[in-house]
Amino acid sequence: MALVTRTKLEIFVEAHALPEVEQMLGDAGFKGCSVFAGVEGAGAHGPWRQTGVDEAGIRLIVAIGSDASAQTALTWLEVYFQSYPGVVALSEVSVLRAERF
Amino acid sequence: MLMAAGAANLLTPAVLFFALGAVAGWLKSDLTIPDQVAKTLALYLMLCIGFKGGVEAAASGLSADLVAAGGLGLVLSFGTPFAAFVALRTLGALDQVTAAATAAHYGSVSVVTFAAGAEYLRAIGVEFGGYMAAVLALMETPAILAALLIAGGGGKSAEARLKPSLWREVFLNGAAIVLIGSFVIGAITGERGMARLDVFVGPLFQGALCLFLLDMGLVASRRLAEAPRLRWPLVGFALVWPLLSAAVALVASAALELSLGDASLMALLAGSASYIAAPAAMRIALPKADAGVYLSLSLGVTFPFNLLVGIPLYHAAARFLYG
Repeated sequence: MALVTRTKLEIFVEAHALPEVEQMLGDAGFKGCSVFAGVEGAGAHGPWRQTGVDEAGIRLIVAIGSDASAQTALTWLEVYFQSYPGVVALSEVSVLRAERF
Repeated sequence: MLMAAGAANLLTPAVLFFALGAVAGWLKSDLTIPDQVAKTLALYLMLCIGFKGGVEAAASGLSADLVAAGGLGLVLSFGTPFAAFVALRTLGALDQVTAAATAAHYGSVSVVTFAAGAEYLRAIGVEFGGYMAAVLALMETPAILAALLIAGGGGKSAEARLKPSLWREVFLNGAAIVLIGSFVIGAITGERGMARLDVFVGPLFQGALCLFLLDMGLVASRRLAEAPRLRWPLVGFALVWPLLSAAVALVASAALELSLGDASLMALLAGSASYIAAPAAMRIALPKADAGVYLSLSLGVTFPFNLLVGIPLYHAAARFLYG
């Protein structure tokens, strides 16, 4: 089995940031990403819950790519998080079909 | 008379369903309305309000009342945040950004409070202009712009506030598109359009409003339970400010010689606080503002207050003022 090492970013942001973050990931060299809607949780500002009305609209964006792309994305996110809420986690993963990342 | 009107309002299905949701949330019931259902209901309510308003506005034509009500709505929406900001800074001791964001909520308006108020007036046989739906739409945005002026600032933070996504959120959010678009469609199609959508925007409306208010009760009580940081001066602001705003709107409405129904709705709009348009815009424009404060006040305190007490109270005050 030809597993290859890549870097995975898991980015939590509010829904309004999605277009900007997706654009940034593309510019940083990521070939794709997946977006998941948050249900509920708790953070620095207390608990939040996705509802149809006063929703926080949290999104989890998962992107896998090269370490260089991940570092470029982290630099952008560091600036973004100075103004807007959100967190990012980085991890090393092993993937099949490396050409897709 | 006021007590009787209040009791009649409290015993309507819409208010009782709101109370049911609030109690269920308070008791930590597992009752939930799926968020996509709640979103669909919100869009449906806005479609009905906009469409019916457009049809009625088309029937009455471009009147001086429409211009007067629209102008007053714009002034109230833009001016209210400046006064509310001072009150929140002095009485509530909020930081500048959170006070500005909260003030935006009290200048902007609540669509569901408007819907419940309009249904209340219809139920007791008080007529109002269909164009009040357009006034509702007009009053959503100026408060947000006022809050940006109040928050001020320069350099990088100002760039963040004026980014394109903010303008997209302010002017092109789904709720605004449906409300204004439905109003225009109603105005274009008039009675012919109403004949086709009569059942959809008529008899079904009350049931949808009840279901939506059930969800609102759940959301409001859960938000209050999760907001231990709210101090009593802020809760007092959320209860007293709507009364002051409504009083100003009533006096101005009387001075402009708006009808009793229009004045009642104008007071209700002025006394209501946004919890859909304003929070979405403030998350983009003033991300450092504490959403736990502004959402808890507008949704957890002012919305229930207006639904339970404000609607009959503002109308009773209008009746008193109009003799």
